[in-house]
Amino acid sequence: MAEPASTRPGAGLLDRDAIRLSERAATTDEAIRRCGETLVEVGAVTPAYVEAMLAREQTISTYVGEGVAIPHGTLTAKECVRRDALAVLRFPDGVDWNGNRVLVCVAIAARGDGHVEILSELAQILLDPERARALREATEPDEVLALLSPVRKESTA
Amino acid sequence: MPSRTVVVGSASGLHARPAALFVSAAAAQPVRVTIRTGDGPAVPAGSILSVLALGAKRGTEVTLEADGEGAEAALDVLADLLVRDLDQEPASSTETAGTGA
Repeated sequence: MAEPASTRPGAGLLDRDAIRLSERAATTDEAIRRCGETLVEVGAVTPAYVEAMLAREQTISTYVGEGVAIPHGTLTAKECVRRDALAVLRFPDGVDWNGNRVLVCVAIAARGDGHVEILSELAQILLDPERARALREATEPDEVLALLSPVRKESTA
Repeated sequence: MPSRTVVVGSASGLHARPAALFVSAAAAQPVRVTIRTGDGPAVPAGSILSVLALGAKRGTEVTLEADGEGAEAALDVLADLLVRDLDQEPASSTETAGTGA
């Protein structure tokens, strides 16, 4: 944590206000709407983006495994994005996601590809059983921020 | 081992829909296919988390590898998916790409 915040991949993308840890949704659509509304509330997207998120999910599931889904809009909804941002919503009771049980949604608003790094970080967290469990069971926003803002490793790309 | 090195063509990089399409096509192949960036570790191409963890953007060079019967054909199908801009294509033209060849 010695590096300045601005060099971390997730820095600025995830507001504390966009972390909601005791959500409830009866259906996938309802969960996606909650995700979208959160992105609207933090000023990242216009309300039309929510419909684009629902449309994307119809095309292809955003479930990535380990109880996590990453809902996001279609590429054509880019003009609905005011700024790149993430939201983390935890559904402690779980949401049925086309046969999978989702406990955490990481919702994405993105115009460019600046979020690819944080998605990469997220995937690396989920590939690590201990950290995946920590994310699913987080009860404090600080835990989520700490998990999703790991110290930047120098990219070899 | 048969391999293909290609440059990612999808505008949004190898994540979201392009990644999901690629991974489902990879999982549908008769051989196990791995993917890596540069000299990084080779990871299963059929695992969405492993593919997302690569953090490959448009223009990133990735290498596919597979061995055994059908490896060459599988690599051709998957390399073709990677170089295309899957963000710009309707779902119908890519949905069957994994099993068609």
